[in-house]
Parts: sequence; structure tokens; C-alpha cells
Amino acid sequence: MTDQQLLWLLQLSDSNFPSGAFSHSFGFETYMYNEQICDAKTFREALVVYIQTQLTYTDGLACRIAYEQLEANSMEGLQRLNETLFALCLAKETREGTRMIGERLWKLCRHIYSVDELDEIVQTKQSIHPAIVFAAVGRKIEASKRTTVLTYLFTAVQTMVQNAVRGIPLGQTDGQKLLVMVQPYLIHAASIIEALDEEELGTAAVGLEIAQMQHERLPVRLFMS
Amino acid sequence: MSWTGRLQCTASFRNGRTVILDSYNEGALKLMRPVYLDPAHPTLYLVHVGGGYVDGDRYEINMKLEPHARLMMTTQAATKVYKTPHAPVWQYTQFSLGDESVLEYFPDPLIAYEQARFIQETVVYITNRSTFMYGEIITPGWAESGQLFRYDWIRSKLKVYQDEVLVLFDHLYLDSRQHLTSMLQLGGYTHVGSFVALSPFITKEVLEQFNQFMEEMPQEVRCGFSAAAVPGFSVRILAYETSVIEAIFQRVQQFIRQQCGEKAPVCWRKY
Repeated sequence: MTDQQLLWLLQLSDSNFPSGAFSHSFGFETYMYNEQICDAKTFREALVVYIQTQLTYTDGLACRIAYEQLEANSMEGLQRLNETLFALCLAKETREGTRMIGERLWKLCRHIYSVDELDEIVQTKQSIHPAIVFAAVGRKIEASKRTTVLTYLFTAVQTMVQNAVRGIPLGQTDGQKLLVMVQPYLIHAASIIEALDEEELGTAAVGLEIAQMQHERLPVRLFMS
Repeated sequence: MSWTGRLQCTASFRNGRTVILDSYNEGALKLMRPVYLDPAHPTLYLVHVGGGYVDGDRYEINMKLEPHARLMMTTQAATKVYKTPHAPVWQYTQFSLGDESVLEYFPDPLIAYEQARFIQETVVYITNRSTFMYGEIITPGWAESGQLFRYDWIRSKLKVYQDEVLVLFDHLYLDSRQHLTSMLQLGGYTHVGSFVALSPFITKEVLEQFNQFMEEMPQEVRCGFSAAAVPGFSVRILAYETSVIEAIFQRVQQFIRQQCGEKAPVCWRKY
């Protein structure tokens, strides 16, 4: 990796990068509300399963497939992937949240990294999944597929940890310790994703999906999803 | 390709009632003679003539509803998947719904026994003027050891295309070897119920009524529901027994039927 690439990736994965992801808990707030996630231990357990399910089979695999389709210059494939990723969100808030994050990420990356490969999809579909934007940036700065996917996984986990620090709440040190703890899980997930069949895309974590649906009706909410 | 069971038919709307045409079957899948619980629209009972699904079985169901056709479909008994030492059981189902047609599909539960592997893919084509209702229940079968979740895995995909666009994709994968008891997955529950209803009748106002309707829920379940990207919604339920999920499904089905102008409650008359 070149110095330039490293700096690009550091900027993209910064928890202050204004994609809007910090406003979304993707269902975790429901568990916090029900006190099933209430401290570092319970959050850690949930986070590991989150990495092994949602992040591996949906976000991570989507990022890999998008990267491959960008390599092959398959706009049709990207369109189909984008459509599939939104169809997979059964919870409305998660669908809307993903759409908002995708749009902000796309606008930012269009300016910063001059990513313009996705304009056609955004214009016809009005929405773009963040995993696809991330893959496009990875391609643009010529980061490898694995590095792009791993950076995406880390970015997603980092947002979840920051949200847990605010939402549960946890200490900042606990949050940083968690980010170290998840490292082997993220590396393992990156390897699994490399070998997954595209047919495995989008397998849901059933309980999490229910939590995402229930979030709409929580009486007190810190997050938009 | 050889099939363990195959079934196809077309439902057509003629002179004010729905009739079944071109019914064809081979192997272990059969349709019973249509029953007219409603004088104008048939109810179809799907029958598996063997005792259950075994190693390497392959099934295909293909049903077409012409414009204005309306039918209900269920199974005669639970779908049992036994152990699959060599190849998983595979079932592919396709429904095509014409304008203003209505399909209500509520199969009996899927019971996966020890060492069962099962893949099902259900693909549905709807238009923005057709109504599709589907409820599915997945349960773990009894195992000699008394332990739950002795099945290996179940993969269930439901893809709904509206006018060629994929609008809903429900992809369930339950793998007994992978954190199935985590609260992000079944969280101690054993039975999974999934309900999808897509219909132009499910307007914003109907959704609001539905929110209130769903407030009363039995204590012993975990249940979520949310609006779909097109008019309609999906419901997901975790429970300890089939009957609780079936009762919720029936209430939801009844709610939607009322929105569609059908007042009569459904009685499948199975037992």
C-alpha cells in the first residue's frame, strides 16, 4: 500500500467522516432499550455475531461483489446488486437509513475521490447502497479488493462501537478495547467473504431484523434506526 | 433434470369465478381436487404422497394466476424434511400473479429433523395491482436425543418482483452450528414465522390501522413488522410453538381480507 492510499483509507474510515452512519444503530437500540445490551460484555457478544452475520453476508459480501463488478465494468450487475440490497431490508427504517447514508457517502466521495462511476445508478434508482460506494472508492484509489472489504468492515464496526459508547453508554476506553478485540473477527470475516458464493448474499439475522422493525415503535430513541 | 415431484397449474377467471386449468403433476407432488370454500374461488390443497422429503429430493411448483383470478393454497400436512446425508433437499416454487389477481398461500409448517439440509427458493411475480399473501413457519423437528435444532441448516429465499423489479427479498438461513441461539438470531426461541402481504389495498391509512391492530400481541412471542418498499408489509415472529404463530397469521390474514372487501373468515377445514 502506498502512503497516499493509506491516507485516503484513514480519511474514509474516520468515525467523523460525515456519512450520517452515526445516527443509526441498525436495530441495536432496541436491544439497549430492552436492556439485553447493557454493558461492554453484552454488547461485545452481540457485536461478534453482528460481524459473523449481517456484516459478513450482506455488507461485506456486497462490497466484494461490487468491487468485482466495477472491475468487470458491469453496470448491469451493479444495478442488480443495488436493487437486491434494498430489497433485502425488510425494516423500513433500516432501508431508509441505508439509502440516506448511501446518498451522503456518494455525494462526498464524488467530490473527494472523484468517483463518478455510479452516477447512472443514482440517477435511475435514486438510491445507492453504501457498500457499493465504498467499493467504488476502493477501486478508484487502487486499493486491493481485500483491503477495501476489510476497511469497510472496520468502518461499520467502528460506527457501531461509537454508537454503543453513546447509547449504552460505555467508557471511551472500553470502546477502543472492543475495536482491538474484534480485529481477529474482522480478519476472519474478510477471508470468509473472499470464498462466499454470491447466492449466500443477504442472509438475515432474524432477531436483529425484528429489533430493526420494533425500533420504529420505541417510545424513546437516540438513533434514527 | 429429474424431479421427485413437480406441479404446475393455471388459475383463470371466467364468468365470475376462478377455475383451474392445465393442472399437471408428476411424482410425489399432487393437487387435490379444488375445494370451493368460497363459491367463486377455489382453495387448493397440495399433497405430498410420500411420508416426507428425503436426501436429494427435488421439487418444483409453478402456478400462474391470470388477471382477476383468486385462490387460496395450503398443504394437506406439514412438510417434513428428514436427514440428508448426501444432498440437501431442494424446492423451487414460482408464482405469477396477473393484474387484480389474489393469491393467499399458507403452507403448513416446515419441520426439519435431525441432520436435515433444505433449500427452498420461492419467486413471485406480481404487478402493482395484484395481491399476494404468504405465511411460512419453520420449526425444529423432534430428535431422539431430545435436543432442539438437530437439523443442519435451512435456507429459505423469497424473492418478489413487481413489474420486473426486485422489491422484496427475504433470505433466511438457519444453521444449527452457527450462533443460532444468539439474541441476534433466534435468541432462545425455536419457531420462526414469516408473513408477507403485498397489495394495492394496503395503503398508508391501512398501515396505520395495522399498527394499532398489532399492538395486542401474545406475551410469549417476539414479533416485528414493517412497511415494504411497495404497498404492503412483512411480519416476522419468533415463538415456542406453531399454534401461536398460526393464530397471529390468521388474524393478520383476516385483517387484510377485510381491507380487500372480503368479510368471511378463512377456515381451511383441514382437521
